[in-house]
Amino acid sequence: MSELAHTNHTEKKDFLVRSSSLKDVRSFCREVFEKLHIDQNLKDELVLAIAEAAQNIVKHAYKDSPNTEDKMVVQISCKDNKLQIGFYDMGTPVDPGKVKHREIDNVKPGGLGTFFIQQIMDAVEFKDGKKPWINHLVLTKQL
Amino acid sequence: MTYKVEEIDTKRIVHLNGEIDMEVADKARQTILPLIEAGHEVHLNLSKVEYMDSSGISVLIESKKLSEQKNTKFELVEISKPVEKVLAMARKFL
Repeated sequence: MSELAHTNHTEKKDFLVRSSSLKDVRSFCREVFEKLHIDQNLKDELVLAIAEAAQNIVKHAYKDSPNTEDKMVVQISCKDNKLQIGFYDMGTPVDPGKVKHREIDNVKPGGLGTFFIQQIMDAVEFKDGKKPWINHLVLTKQL
Repeated sequence: MTYKVEEIDTKRIVHLNGEIDMEVADKARQTILPLIEAGHEVHLNLSKVEYMDSSGISVLIESKKLSEQKNTKFELVEISKPVEKVLAMARKFL
């Protein structure tokens, strides 16, 4: 368990929904996790999970709007040893039932991102997006 | 991401540097796949890759599959720690 256990902290930032923003999403997460003293190993995993979730917004929720000016919000909160990462976007509504990784015997590249998220995080939950948001994804990890 | 291609006889050693994500995966794909398509044995050096996500892994899978179709070799020769971790996670699934 890291020093984060004693820290309550929330930060959020918005990003244009573009693949070119993914690097900025990662930088933001690394900065926040640095402040929270999360160890390198876990930090790398969390950054990967968050980047994959942000990538899913670009790739799926905005599949038909590659040049959108919309922004997505990433919010990182830590409270009582629990890390919660929220994603908000105004893209196509996600059907949580369809968000799954592919079958294990189907060796194709797609679906790995969702698999990584599920491997790294304790919980992945789609909540109702409150206006103006359409989608609200919450990833949780107990520290 | 930057890259360098070394030519040794018919072998091509592709060195990738930096971070490989959705934004640059196509560039990696367009660097590697044509070499395999041309029948070269491709060795991929990932020792200077600081970050790779599922998009990068997709490029590796596509490269491997194409090399099998073309009856040539596609190998990872050096792998950085961050890439090794992501590969280990992906292997649980592949």
